[in-house]
Amino acid sequence: MVSAIEVKNVFLKMGDFQLKNISFDIHPKEIFAILGKTGAGKTLLLESIAGFYRSMEGGIFLEGKNVLDIPLTERKIGFVYQDYGLFPHMTVRKNISYGLKTQKRSKKEIAEKVGHMAEIMSITHILEQYPDTLSGGEKQRTALARSLVLNPGVLLLDEPFSALDPVTKAIMYKELLKINEQFDCAILFVTHDFTEAQKLARRIGIMDKGCLKAVRNSDELFDYYQNDEINQFFGIMKGDCI
Amino acid sequence: MKNRHSYNIFDILSMMITAGIVLFILFTLLSIIIGGLPYLKEALRSREVWFSIGLSIYTASISTSICVLLAIPCAYGLTRTAMPFKKASQIIIEMPLALPYLVLGLCLLVVFSSDFGKALKNLGFKVVFDRKGIIMAQLTVNLPFAVRLMKNAMSQIDNRLEFIAGTLGASRWERFYTILLPLCVPSIIMMIVLVWSRALGEFGATLMLVGVTRMKTETLPASIYLNISTGENGMAMACAIILLVISAMSLAVTTLLGGISKQHTRIKDVNQ
Repeated sequence: MVSAIEVKNVFLKMGDFQLKNISFDIHPKEIFAILGKTGAGKTLLLESIAGFYRSMEGGIFLEGKNVLDIPLTERKIGFVYQDYGLFPHMTVRKNISYGLKTQKRSKKEIAEKVGHMAEIMSITHILEQYPDTLSGGEKQRTALARSLVLNPGVLLLDEPFSALDPVTKAIMYKELLKINEQFDCAILFVTHDFTEAQKLARRIGIMDKGCLKAVRNSDELFDYYQNDEINQFFGIMKGDCI
Repeated sequence: MKNRHSYNIFDILSMMITAGIVLFILFTLLSIIIGGLPYLKEALRSREVWFSIGLSIYTASISTSICVLLAIPCAYGLTRTAMPFKKASQIIIEMPLALPYLVLGLCLLVVFSSDFGKALKNLGFKVVFDRKGIIMAQLTVNLPFAVRLMKNAMSQIDNRLEFIAGTLGASRWERFYTILLPLCVPSIIMMIVLVWSRALGEFGATLMLVGVTRMKTETLPASIYLNISTGENGMAMACAIILLVISAMSLAVTTLLGGISKQHTRIKDVNQ
């Protein structure tokens, strides 16, 4: 089975910071979390997977193909930034339909797909609004809708829930699981929230100082590690070892 | 609640310097306005003044249009592409900003008086002592300024938005005209206004390249120069008032546009 994402010995230097020898893979339709403190290099890794940086060493493969060999327009990735990255000069409708328009779909098809996606994401009432007027949850739904309307093979989410209140967060957790089922896409999200990672992902990668320290199944997240820094990060004492 | 200010010596000193600058600028402008107002009617009846207004507006508009057409792709190249020698290109493009305009004019004169310039002249593109030279001088003076303005504007636009647009299937051209360009519109308008008003007042480089000939290469600043050199100070001041009014109008537009795009800050008054 070809992995949805395969990261092989990736090194990337950005100023004083460096991603060091990162390797892991994500199965098709899997939800995978990258967990780590602020400044661990999570966003940089996510951007590398999307092919943002051409100067990296090692390889990142999307369904077996090197991401840097696939033109950006054909990578079939959905990317949602922490601040959602909505186009500020376009309404929600135009944001969602942007990708469909670049694919030269018919007006009728665009209207149908945008309407359908807006219904799924419960944002029909804000379709004519501009991003500046939206709440955090509405912005996030819009950004997700914009990516999902193109049926991406991989969805990359950069701390997608960090700006949301607890109630909206709980709703969006359910939405994410629903998206994973409905759209058959692998989801990779980065977070610094243990609970969030454990609740949503089947496997979790733990990052610190530009290194991927471990990859664990979510039910084993708080088991003892052979690395003191990770144990300290999770607040695990040696006696907690199972 | 009433604002209570406490002033220290540094505050008072800086306020006095500010007031001094304001008074100095007001005094110099008022001296021209007061001196030129009695002659304004006569100036507005003069065919020569209307010629210089027309020529100034015509040349400034053409040079500004060329500036915009060149500055936008150039700024894109400097901010969004991996072109080789980018830093060096940037320094070379911005170098004229630090040069006196007379020197720039002299450079142009040397270039267009050379065999290359003569070849251009034979092909029908006469620059030296011609109207085209005014446009060329304005372009040379303003292009680095326009590129710098556009480069700053484009640098401030988050390039992640274009990356996201790319993941949504947009080609580089589509990303440019659907994302970057619309987000730069306020800066482009501001650039047009500023470059146009600078072109309107350009004199140094124009003087070197085309000289000042009445009713031929006589722009508004050239008209001021000619009137002063023939002792018609009143007419010179009247022309200066016309130039001031046009510049003030473009400044008002710039301020208005700046106000629209200005971000509000929560810290309005630091007074500790």
